[in-house]
Amino acid sequence: MTVELQPPPATAESATPAIRLEGVSHWYGNVVAVNKISFSVGPGITGLLGPNGAGKSTILHMIAGFLKPSSGSVEVLGSPAWQNQEMYHRIGLVPEREAVYPFLTGYEFVLLSAQLHKLPNAQEAARRAIRLVDMEQAQERRTGGYSKGMKQRMKLAAALVHDPPLLLLDEPFNGADPSQRLRMMALLREMAAAGRTIVFSSHILEEVERLSDNVLVIVAGRLAASGDFHAIRRLMTDHPHTFTLRSSDDRRLGAALIAEPSVVGVELMDSWLSVRTADFGAFTLAAPRVAHGSGITIFEILPADRSLESVFSYLVKR
Amino acid sequence: MPKPAESAEGSIYDLGYRKYEGVRLGRRHAVFSLYIHSLRGIFGFGRHKSSKIIPIGLTIIALLPAIIQLGVISIASEVIEPSGLFQPADYFEYVQWLLALFVAAVGPELLGRDQRNRTLSLYFSHALLRSDYVLAKLAALATALITISLVPQILVFAGNALSGDDALEYLRHNWGDVAPIIVSGVLISLLMSSVTLAIASQTPRWQLASGGVIAYFGITFALGSILVSSLPNGPAGYSLLLSGFHVARGITSWLFGLTPVLSDEGEGGLAQADIPLFLYTVAACVTIAIALAITYRRYRRLIV
Amino acid sequence: MNSTILALTLRQLLGKRRALFMIAIAALPVLVAVIFRLADAEMTPQRWTAEHLFKGLIVTIVLPLTTLVFGTTALGMEIEDGTIVYLLAKPLRRFDVILSKFTAAWLPAAALLALSTIVSTIIALGNDNSSILIGFTIAIVLGSLVYCCIFLALSVFTNHALIAGLIYVFLWEGVVTGLFTGTRYISVRQYTLGVADLIAETSRRTFRADIDGAPALVLMAIVGVAALVLAVRRLSRFEIRTNV
Repeated sequence: MTVELQPPPATAESATPAIRLEGVSHWYGNVVAVNKISFSVGPGITGLLGPNGAGKSTILHMIAGFLKPSSGSVEVLGSPAWQNQEMYHRIGLVPEREAVYPFLTGYEFVLLSAQLHKLPNAQEAARRAIRLVDMEQAQERRTGGYSKGMKQRMKLAAALVHDPPLLLLDEPFNGADPSQRLRMMALLREMAAAGRTIVFSSHILEEVERLSDNVLVIVAGRLAASGDFHAIRRLMTDHPHTFTLRSSDDRRLGAALIAEPSVVGVELMDSWLSVRTADFGAFTLAAPRVAHGSGITIFEILPADRSLESVFSYLVKR
Repeated sequence: MPKPAESAEGSIYDLGYRKYEGVRLGRRHAVFSLYIHSLRGIFGFGRHKSSKIIPIGLTIIALLPAIIQLGVISIASEVIEPSGLFQPADYFEYVQWLLALFVAAVGPELLGRDQRNRTLSLYFSHALLRSDYVLAKLAALATALITISLVPQILVFAGNALSGDDALEYLRHNWGDVAPIIVSGVLISLLMSSVTLAIASQTPRWQLASGGVIAYFGITFALGSILVSSLPNGPAGYSLLLSGFHVARGITSWLFGLTPVLSDEGEGGLAQADIPLFLYTVAACVTIAIALAITYRRYRRLIV
Repeated sequence: MNSTILALTLRQLLGKRRALFMIAIAALPVLVAVIFRLADAEMTPQRWTAEHLFKGLIVTIVLPLTTLVFGTTALGMEIEDGTIVYLLAKPLRRFDVILSKFTAAWLPAAALLALSTIVSTIIALGNDNSSILIGFTIAIVLGSLVYCCIFLALSVFTNHALIAGLIYVFLWEGVVTGLFTGTRYISVRQYTLGVADLIAETSRRTFRADIDGAPALVLMAIVGVAALVLAVRRLSRFEIRTNV
């Protein structure tokens, strides 16, 4: 039983994807961290989702040129990522590790990044980047005294200072409080709308669900699924969909529904009816018809697992 | 406790959480466990391969002189006087830097790992006093040092004894060496361990502490040598009491009943210092006490 | 050479605690020289300066400790806590990174050591014997250069650069080259002493190095350049060590 993978939507047929991996594997000793993964990433926000240890960081490090793929090819902006100094002109990287130079002020830290990129007007670029991440208040304080969320934002500013078309973020929302997370998500969406390519990794479903246009699900070093997660869900035809219904007479409705060929199971809960169906489309047609035929009013019908969580747990269990 | 559900044919057992009802081994066992755990950690047992390289590498280097001497004895004992190569009294002079490097390499990690990973709060929430912690760590480090320093000496002694015609004759002749070997080994190991712990307890940064330990032994040694060779037979001799290496030599000389001779030692040594030898042993004991006090004070004031 | 990295590293290295510690170590030879002058020693000043101050204290202890601290932390700290990424994810040549880091480590080390040597030698010898002063100072500066190259390279290869450096200096250079005299050609300490012997005009009785000055200089150049080249190569292949 396999999930049929659709090729990722090609945004422009002639454009080179920003990132392309082909048959990439990485192993260290006996441990295979990444196992023959191929995908392409284009403009917009792509989320790398997977449990801890699945290989997301390994993939990101390979894309960023900090790990050599044991086999396969990793191409970023048209050329191989390994030992490619020039590509950093057009890549911004927000690493996962929290440590920054504690004796520098926030402004000096972003300025450092601007100077190392040899920007002609480094100070202006630094101030602009800091304004973008909304850290103007704290920029004169030493980063050693920042909270984790503040450090994340300064790291983002340092990665944006040279206006790169490709942005890589490794677990960017780790330790951020909800308001900071929302702010960063809004910022990332803005940048993606302007045509940038953004790739971020996370093991938190809710973040990936909310933010990404495309999802790459990595499980145990393999690519388990890719694309829009709603589409992935629909493709999982061997996994019954679950709906919850509230109606004027749940028990009778349940008895009527189980007679339908598209319905696989019915469960009566305290105040609702849970229905499992193998055929999403047929059921959506059948449910109102059955209810109407039995004289029952449906008050509410909701898909119960239209979430990345069910997709994810399904993929992980395979 | 909930009873398992039973019927005539079968039972279902409750596998839920249980309180521990067994024997509680108490404080002594806690100290002993910490000691064993620390000792294992020193040599890298139970850890990643890379943490074994330095301690085991240095141990092998420490054993080399003994192995070489044993080899020489077994192959060429008729030609070369067996006990001529390495005298037990000179042993520490050869290995002083090796022991200092060993203790500088493993000591800071011994204490620093607990400070960095915040496992100290775990230890002190059990039947383990802060003084117990310090003593257990000292015992572990000293045991490691004693092993490295005594085992080669015992090997050489045994080799000398067994290679001669009459082992018992050798033993009777040289048994007076056994006690000084052991006592000097223990005392010097305690000295070096306690000093290392005192330095390592001041900072959770291992590299800084390692450098500090070597700086302590190296600088006191160099300064003492220079002072004594520039101003021999004077009060400058007392500066050697601060130098771990010189104190080690002083202890072995005193225990073996030898007198330091300028022509053997060269400049900057005990001969030029010309102070009573028993003072070195006293200095060692005082240093150990002060170092332990510093370490204990640091841990008592540490907020975990 | 990248001036931004140079300035950043200098700022990193010269924090208050480390600077004070280094100054204290560099002050030791001065202290000892003062004591030598105040007390009435039997030795000739030249012999004392050469044998005890220079060889015994400065070259054996102060030089390695100073260069170890600066050399291993210039790059080592950033590799250990991961902030090296901020330097490497930039369109910079690795050679520039290494060169800047090396310079940032060497300049303060050489300055401190030269100052310490000059002041303590003047105190001990007085105003004549300028060739000894010049010879020792140049030797120390060159020795610190080679040591910094080696320790910087070590810090790129291993996390345990400091302890590895300590073992090299005090076990290899200290004990092994004393026992097996052939190995003295693989010892920066011997190179330093050789260069000092070459430039300072002293009698054989006063000061004698184990190797000659000319081969010492050549070996210094070879070892220094080799260390830096290896460091650049290794940094070009730098991989983030993740715990899988």
